[in-house]
Amino acid sequence: MTRNPIKDQVSFVGVGTTGFTRTSDHSSLALALDASTRAIRDAGLDKADINGVVSVGEPGAPGPEVLATALGLTNVTHFTKPTPVVMNSIVDAMNAIYAGSCDTVLVCSSMLRAPWNSRSAANDPFRRHLGGTIGGGIPETINMAPAYTAWASRYMHEYGVGKEPFGRIAVNMRTNAAQNPIAAMRAPITLDDYYAARMIREPLCLLDMDVPVDGADALVLTTTERAKSLPHRPVALHAATVGLGTSDEDQLPSLARHGQHVVIEALKAKSDLWLEDVDIFFPYDGFTIITLAWFENTGWCPPGGAAKFLADNWDTDTNRIVIDGRIPVNPHGGSLSEGATRGTGHIREAIVQLRGDAGERQVPGAKTALVTPGGFFFNPQGAILRAV
Amino acid sequence: MADTDSLTDDALVERFSHLMVDRNKAGLLRGWLAHELRMNRCADCGHWHHPPRPMCPACWSWNVSPTTVSGLGRVHLLMRLHQGPPAPGVDYAEGPYPVVTVELDEQPNLRFTSTVINSAPDKIAIGMRVKLAWIERHGAPFPVFEPAPESEVQA
Repeated sequence: MTRNPIKDQVSFVGVGTTGFTRTSDHSSLALALDASTRAIRDAGLDKADINGVVSVGEPGAPGPEVLATALGLTNVTHFTKPTPVVMNSIVDAMNAIYAGSCDTVLVCSSMLRAPWNSRSAANDPFRRHLGGTIGGGIPETINMAPAYTAWASRYMHEYGVGKEPFGRIAVNMRTNAAQNPIAAMRAPITLDDYYAARMIREPLCLLDMDVPVDGADALVLTTTERAKSLPHRPVALHAATVGLGTSDEDQLPSLARHGQHVVIEALKAKSDLWLEDVDIFFPYDGFTIITLAWFENTGWCPPGGAAKFLADNWDTDTNRIVIDGRIPVNPHGGSLSEGATRGTGHIREAIVQLRGDAGERQVPGAKTALVTPGGFFFNPQGAILRAV
Repeated sequence: MADTDSLTDDALVERFSHLMVDRNKAGLLRGWLAHELRMNRCADCGHWHHPPRPMCPACWSWNVSPTTVSGLGRVHLLMRLHQGPPAPGVDYAEGPYPVVTVELDEQPNLRFTSTVINSAPDKIAIGMRVKLAWIERHGAPFPVFEPAPESEVQA
């Protein structure tokens, strides 16, 4: 699939976020409304301008009809609730704008810690409706999150690598989060801290897993043509795709062929820009193994080569990854340290960086970002964003 | 084991009330009651698949049925849970609980996920040969694995 008639035709024009915490007592709808109103105002728009609403189908999040009504929107001609993670929603918004289903879309993702992923959330009676267990609720499954630990064991076995590259991913995110005031976890860590962290599902430990948080991100998209008359520098969707691998976690044939490979093949075919053009890399980091796989599958290094690549591209002065001495990786701290936004944080930071609005985190002259949300199975995704 | 195969659907769902039993899983769970691990196999092209689905993903035949596997295989994925969902007989305080995905001898990439019994936890490793065993959970049989000699092969 090499057609990409939509290339650069739709742009991000507004971003809004609540920031991310592990202590919030707001409802998912309150978080969504806070982020959405911020994003629409950031775009220099009003409620009358929004005629598309896409609400990421996160557990407990308001549906698009609820969000639109709560925002007082009265002329919505496109509203959907795509499956997580974030790119399904962005691709839907992009397509709807280009096709003329609507002109300007609000995409909102609202995360609420569920009783099963946080002790304090388990003690909050207003979260009981979110349910109590992950996966099948029995130990003997690798469905959902445990899949990444199980396949991490296979990765270590096949390539004979230890925990160091995993630790470098965790340290990189925490180093970067120290510069991000809305991150949930900002205290720097070292590789020694990583090795000493509590095992959860061995071989992965607490610091291999993203941080459950409450918070919401909202994005506003419109045609790139219209975007040029709005306040911020437009950030265009140059190429974007989702990719479906084998969806049964324990039946995945091999680490050499899953959804990430589908994504990268599609993205490379659609995009005029690739790694040599990229100024910032945003690999997903819901689990450290996912990030290692994105490094390898995007082609920064060969399969099994992440350990050497990260060591070779480690900036010892700042204690983080800087590819080729130039390209930082998740400068906002990623899901591991900003918080588990399931990809919206990566997209938001890419937009802010490409606008040139990232303050002390700003990557000088950044024009192009590669963003790769999602894992191996039913949610790998990718996008090339570029400043217009 | 005609007894378990003739169990009514109501009785089957009641017996496994702790699991989410739908029509697609019924054949798998009837097998558990007979101490047989049954995976869906296509009678037309011979392809096995799991988890159980009503149509063969290889050839689109609907002629699939739960078919007993030998239970022999090799550990493909391994994790040790230091914490996890509560289950009868699982005490994370006693030590990490092993969870393995076993590649079965019947077909490459045909796998079943469970635990390993009758083995020192630190002896369990990827590549280890295992065979099917059974424990009781919630008053019903539950399939697990135990170490098998390298020489043991499908009869």
